[in-house]
Amino acid sequence: MGKIEEYTVKRDADRTDLKLNMGPQHPATHGVLRLELDLDGEIIRKCTPHIGYLHRGTEKLGEDRTYISALPLTDRLDYIASMNNNIGYCVAVEKLFGIEAPERAKYIRTMCAELGRISSHLLWLATHALDIGAMTVFLYAFRERAMIMEMFEKLTGARLTVSYPRIGGVRNDVTQEFIDRAHAFADEFPTHMEEYETLIDQNRIWLKRTKGIGIITADEAINWGLSGPMIRGSGIAYDIRKHEPYDAYKDVEFEVPIGTEGDVYDRYRVRMIELRQSALIIKQCVEKLPRGAILDPNAPKFTLPPKERVMTDMESLIHQFVLITKGPMTAQEGEVYVATELPKGEFGYYFVSDGSGKPYRMRLRAPSFVHASVLPLMCEGGLIADVIANIGTLDIVLGECDR
Amino acid sequence: MEFKKIVKTILFWEILQGMWLTLSNLPPWNAVTRQYPKEPRYSDPGFRGLHALVRNPDTGREKCIACGLCAAVCPSRCITIHTGEDDKGEKIAEEYEVDVLRCVFCAFCVEACPVGAIVLSEHYEYSGYSRGDFYFNKERLLDNWDTFFPGEKGKWYMDNIWKHPNADDYKAHDDQAVFHGIQKEEKQ
Repeated sequence: MGKIEEYTVKRDADRTDLKLNMGPQHPATHGVLRLELDLDGEIIRKCTPHIGYLHRGTEKLGEDRTYISALPLTDRLDYIASMNNNIGYCVAVEKLFGIEAPERAKYIRTMCAELGRISSHLLWLATHALDIGAMTVFLYAFRERAMIMEMFEKLTGARLTVSYPRIGGVRNDVTQEFIDRAHAFADEFPTHMEEYETLIDQNRIWLKRTKGIGIITADEAINWGLSGPMIRGSGIAYDIRKHEPYDAYKDVEFEVPIGTEGDVYDRYRVRMIELRQSALIIKQCVEKLPRGAILDPNAPKFTLPPKERVMTDMESLIHQFVLITKGPMTAQEGEVYVATELPKGEFGYYFVSDGSGKPYRMRLRAPSFVHASVLPLMCEGGLIADVIANIGTLDIVLGECDR
Repeated sequence: MEFKKIVKTILFWEILQGMWLTLSNLPPWNAVTRQYPKEPRYSDPGFRGLHALVRNPDTGREKCIACGLCAAVCPSRCITIHTGEDDKGEKIAEEYEVDVLRCVFCAFCVEACPVGAIVLSEHYEYSGYSRGDFYFNKERLLDNWDTFFPGEKGKWYMDNIWKHPNADDYKAHDDQAVFHGIQKEEKQ
């Protein structure tokens, strides 16, 4: 017994570096990320992220389900912004089938996507500030997030895993109450933003923990394939909503904020401005919301027939059976890649179709996966306390990273 | 300008501002937290909670015709159906089992059902001590219907909530919600 202790002490004394396992059960790693840190005192010499603890095989599961019933799988990727995942999936499948959602559905989707973005960014702000040491912001941000949750619950029937959009439209129409609430929320949201900014924006501890930490230059950001607020924080105005607009984004006006330094504080500012822009987009969507169909009437081969007709009309019943058991059978052979702007970054859906009702291959390009790979670049040479700030600023969700 | 900044730094101005915000939210009448177990939370109509099999008021049996569409569309494969025949030779579901622990509550089964035989209730507080408590068989699901949708409530739900998509979704109509400007009177 004594011999072993002696040996351990001796070995530790000889070593100059220390290997530290951070995670996978660390609360600040936003899920189950494991970081292998080689330390020299407080300085990180090497950082190796290990992922895969939350791997559920979503891509493979998608191959076994029809285009219709694979939708709830996408809820579980980035579970903070499941609405945006769903919308991305539907936009991609619609492109594969060559159909388009009606105008009203597009506006509803855009509105819901921005609500989802606000919800996601608020959770990021809350946890990022909590990790760094500002507890109060957490409580304020969750107050507003709960409002969005309740709006989603009223609209879709679920608070988090919404499964709301459908191929060729959305599940159900918005109510007057919902759009009034959404407008009122977008109206008063900037005042709440001011509260968060009062708490941390100029706070000296916050500035010390974020300024000059985790710097990524513009070239590095491009080389590492970053997207979303990560690349915009480094000064590159790349936003898919602007460059390849889907849904109703071409009809609404908004700005793309960019940072200058590429540090943690810049990315924080970018996301804060994005929150304000999202509120503006919601307002525009509500005001412009046209009357019209919410499911594409010209695409009966992709959307389920109306329920009343299924219950009374034999043809619709047969249609319903074929559509559900075999999937939409009119997919063309080929492949399609559609990127949508998620709160985290560019989320791409890549489908290879062999003409059957199920995708031959479903590949997901997850921004969190790409962003997790940039951690060594940000952490190495820095202090161990800054690892937390760096993970927080990446805004990764491991459900999406591991897929 | 520079002098102002120095004074603010010495006085911890930004921290005082934050503290003041916290203090102003401190009084109990500003509280937004719901004291959950004491203050129960009721879901809105249409919430996707625990499953129920619709009981047909005419026959007293389940509405289900055992077509298997719900099991076919289910993304998590949590519905098991064994079909059989009743005394009159009609096709019925001898066994209808929902594995609630597998279910993802997407309500695709409700959308797929051609007769409106399965619904999701608003009930969300269910817990058990063993895995077996969550394999809901046919009797249990019918019981859920009797418990959560007593009387006319079930009919109202079938007509208003669980009919997606309906024929109105494919065309424009006057009942659709559009923005009419801010109603200041309604906001207290």
